[in-house]
Amino acid sequence: MPDQVLISYKELQHDGFRQNPFFQCLLAEVLEEHKSKEGHTIVGYALYYYTYSTWKGPSVYLEDLYVMPEFRGKGIGKNLLSKVAQVAKEKHCARLQMSVLDWNTPSRDFYAAKGAQDLTVSEGWHFIRFDGQALDNLANEAPKD
Amino acid sequence: MANFILRKAESKDVSDILRLIKELAKFEEMEEQVILTEKDLLEDGFGDHPFYHCLVAEVPKEHQSSEGYTVIAFAMYYFTYDPWIGKLLYLEDFYVMQDFRGFGIGSQILKVLSETAVKTRCSSMHFIVAENNKCSIEFYKRRGAADLSYEEGWRLFAIDKEDLLKMTTK
Repeated sequence: MPDQVLISYKELQHDGFRQNPFFQCLLAEVLEEHKSKEGHTIVGYALYYYTYSTWKGPSVYLEDLYVMPEFRGKGIGKNLLSKVAQVAKEKHCARLQMSVLDWNTPSRDFYAAKGAQDLTVSEGWHFIRFDGQALDNLANEAPKD
Repeated sequence: MANFILRKAESKDVSDILRLIKELAKFEEMEEQVILTEKDLLEDGFGDHPFYHCLVAEVPKEHQSSEGYTVIAFAMYYFTYDPWIGKLLYLEDFYVMQDFRGFGIGSQILKVLSETAVKTRCSSMHFIVAENNKCSIEFYKRRGAADLSYEEGWRLFAIDKEDLLKMTTK
């Protein structure tokens, strides 16, 4: 869904590197001699942030996990996931959550192999979103102070 | 009875917040999974870097609940990040005590949250709902919400502490 990426470098820089950042990001980097066909040495990333469970306290949410296709099958994805798990452990987080598209079988299998449970299947949780006009309409109806 | 105020939760509200968290968990048939204490809520919500923000609805003393409570609804939220569109407001818990439903309190809370989302330049407000909670799903859909699990196929996954620890020791 590349046409849905509306963010700019400037926003990422502002939102991720301020005093209370909105996200954290881990990068996978290879040596210069192993760079990609287009000359990139940063070949994978994991973007995550802290959330809060009213049942168990602080948790980590893995928003994005990606490894460039030519660098897959080398354990980079597993390493990135383990590093995020380590962060969760260090910050005494009760769990790590993420969402995966139902047709993305390789990713679903990848997470299941690490012990992840599909809570949409097992407990019936659905993701709901308010955005654009619906969000504006609701906001406009809020009582004025 | 339509007399209520909505306000930001204060540290003195943690015992009411925990009470309402447990009531909501009971409604979801998962009460035994709440391991948080008042102390956790205090440290996590009212310290230097709060993990969450909370709104509460309060009624005047003369309209208190049958057990004597005046804080009768709450919404807990925090900010998350979507690399495609930026900041989002994530609604973690949203609950109105049964005796106080049907008076527009839930609607009002949702409107105030939406206003907060827009004021803080969030592109969207997200949350999860159990698929058997038809009442809540209809409440949100009437107000223009989209069910992304249904429409786009998103599934929520979780890796619990035990499996997290296994990954870090390899």
